[in-house]
Amino acid sequence: MTDRKTPLLDELEKGPWPSFVTEIKRAGKKSAKAEDLLGQLEKSFEDKTGYWKHGGIVGVRGYGGGVIGRYSQKGEEFPNVAEFHTVRVNQPAGWFYTSDTLRKICDIWEKHGSGLTNLHGSTGDLILLGTDTSKLQPCFDDLSDAGFDLGGSGGGLRTPSCCVGPARCEYACIDTLDVTHEITMAFQDYIHRPMWPYKFKIKVSGCGNDCVAAIARADFTIIGTWRDAIRIDDAAVKAYVDSGMDISKMVVQKCPTSALEWDATNGKLTLCAEDCVRCMHCINVMPKALRPGVEKGASILVGGKAPVVQGAMLSWVIVPFMKLEPPYEDLKDLITRITEWWDEHGKSRERLGELIYRKGMRYFLRDMGLEPTPQMVMAPRTNPYWFWWPEEVNKG
Amino acid sequence: MARTDIGPPHYQEMLPPVIKENYGKWQYHEILRPGVLKHVSENGVVVFTVRAASPRLVSVDFIRDVADLADKFCGGFLRFTSRHNVEFLLTDEHQVEPLITALAAKGLPVGGTGNSVSNMIHTQGWVHCHTPATDASGIVKAVMDELYEHFVEMKLPAKLRLALACCINMCGAVHCSDIAICGIHRVPPTIDHELFAKVSETPSVVAACPTYAIKPNPKTKSITINEEKCMYCGNCYTMSPAVNIMNPANDGVAIFVGGKVSNSRKPPMFSKLAIPYLPNNPPRWPEVTEAVKNIVHVWATNARPGERVGEWIERVGWERFFKLTGIPFTDKHIDDFTLAPTTFRSTTNFKY
Amino acid sequence: MVEAANPEIKDKVLDYLHKVPKAKSRDIAATLDIKKALVDAAIKELANEDLVEYLYIGTTYVTLKGSGEGLPKI
Repeated sequence: MTDRKTPLLDELEKGPWPSFVTEIKRAGKKSAKAEDLLGQLEKSFEDKTGYWKHGGIVGVRGYGGGVIGRYSQKGEEFPNVAEFHTVRVNQPAGWFYTSDTLRKICDIWEKHGSGLTNLHGSTGDLILLGTDTSKLQPCFDDLSDAGFDLGGSGGGLRTPSCCVGPARCEYACIDTLDVTHEITMAFQDYIHRPMWPYKFKIKVSGCGNDCVAAIARADFTIIGTWRDAIRIDDAAVKAYVDSGMDISKMVVQKCPTSALEWDATNGKLTLCAEDCVRCMHCINVMPKALRPGVEKGASILVGGKAPVVQGAMLSWVIVPFMKLEPPYEDLKDLITRITEWWDEHGKSRERLGELIYRKGMRYFLRDMGLEPTPQMVMAPRTNPYWFWWPEEVNKG
Repeated sequence: MARTDIGPPHYQEMLPPVIKENYGKWQYHEILRPGVLKHVSENGVVVFTVRAASPRLVSVDFIRDVADLADKFCGGFLRFTSRHNVEFLLTDEHQVEPLITALAAKGLPVGGTGNSVSNMIHTQGWVHCHTPATDASGIVKAVMDELYEHFVEMKLPAKLRLALACCINMCGAVHCSDIAICGIHRVPPTIDHELFAKVSETPSVVAACPTYAIKPNPKTKSITINEEKCMYCGNCYTMSPAVNIMNPANDGVAIFVGGKVSNSRKPPMFSKLAIPYLPNNPPRWPEVTEAVKNIVHVWATNARPGERVGEWIERVGWERFFKLTGIPFTDKHIDDFTLAPTTFRSTTNFKY
Repeated sequence: MVEAANPEIKDKVLDYLHKVPKAKSRDIAATLDIKKALVDAAIKELANEDLVEYLYIGTTYVTLKGSGEGLPKI
């Protein structure tokens, strides 16, 4: 421990919320890297700017992903963070751990790195924050011996992740953990050897509540759903009402398609299943009384992304309903065909959504062999500027 | 050589017995108190979840602490959520209070369920990112200190999902959050032409510009940037280390509001611009915390039960949102990117 | 994905990478007029043999092992 003063960061040890500064200091007691990180961060707080250089060439043998290169611009002042690379460790699906597994990771990281981590990164990986180039391979070797592997980075498949799903959620319409694990195992090559135009994300949510924000950020979005009617337990509905819930106001009036009716006289809630869009609202409010139907599967959407480069997009429906059962061959086949199409047509740093937007959905659907359906659009086009395929017109 | 392509450990090895036995059989849940869930399975088995906050950026000793708690209370199992919380799963209701006490002793609050603010999704910021316009962990700590009561209580009209991205890359679905804090630059980048010629791939840098402001300059083997077209996104900087977008005197944060990812009631929505610029003012960013608190307060005061920020704004209208929050509406709020006309008001229906 | 890489293609990829500081798999495939999947498979083996490595600058490139160290980091 040095006698370094960090008056600005010390301010962030005050207050009720757990402090990351305290955590850096804890790691700094054992690691010179964490200690120098604290120093460089204090400098950033003074100067209001970051001091990390572009990444570059770090990796482990045979892999092109999983390690993010970081070099300090202030390596002379903070020599222990001159190299401060991130290792992305692929998390077990659903972020469940045994305490012993976590301790193994802690020991490995204390040996090879700064002792600082993120639990977890936004993509889903367990992030090990800060090590030297020379420590990467030994760190990976130890992780591998402990049964772990690296996650994705760069122009390849990013680590798939999912919500807690059937492990502890009654809303889950698909086995999000199993789907995620199976996809992760099937596409190891795409994760570890990035060869695509840009990143590609697959996220799996068990229902429309979408707790992993799949629709907002995944190029390939899997969201659990059902095709039949919501199951209603009349007695349990009545119990909610008897306990003081305003069912008209909180449930019926908030149904986006007016698919519910409440008969106050007879204490009966009825659903017009044809009008229901399975938004989850009523189920969220009355989980004891309402459940998803029994014919379960997933909606598949594609093209979600954050702003870079051509603006943010939410994923678009391409398969309204797909049964998802092991070994998920239809799903894997669709992912393979879509990524091959994108790899063939996409420009450098063009995400799938941008490519579909540039080329037109009709090309995408034709090449994927998907039939156009009204579920794919909010509304048909209003302009008269559409195309005909050559075989659809008489060119004679 | 280490084994490669083994993938992550199988999730089943990580599941506590109560989860394995009731996998896919959960029937319903209740929120017993903020941060404590009770799930009941079709077999009548009950599991209690205690959700605790974490600062996300944690030391291995923090992990050992929570691992020890998992040993003591949960048979050596625990999990993490998509919002950086730690969850402990218990089968004995009598252990819930002692666990909460033990967590409190470690400074870890329990909450983030139901109509509360959950932990903030955030990025690396000055701790580890190479393109940040602001810090991440620092602002998050400052904001969460201020909103602490809304994490440990459930008094809000609906759930509140906050996120922070340290630049407009918006890692982590920041663009669909109830309130999103986003680092922004405000002046065009500078170019080291000599270095550019050595290290950059001109077509990639040119293609990186969303507004086509970059042209190759064959003379210098570098590029020129049309400053009138540049909106400071920093994409060119991502593609070339010779382009520098960082500018401490001008960098800061913007605040977007009203986004969500859930399909519940209304479809998912993007967050929309509320405040185009607030200064970077470490260590506690008072302008940012005040702005967030104000938006939360006005929403909590005016929204109907169950209305998330975006749903409330849709009902009262953006004109009312700006009036109620006192946030000035400026030319920055009016879109001029690719889909701008879809956001212009083409009706005489509006409020004052 | 192809199972085992064609040794001739591996040689061609290596030759090509000797001539350039870094390259994208797709550009190698286009220049050598070889199917990209075959180039990807060749690079995978070359990386396992420690002859090439991956490089990330906004997107992923490949380069001869060790030659990326010389690239400036700003």
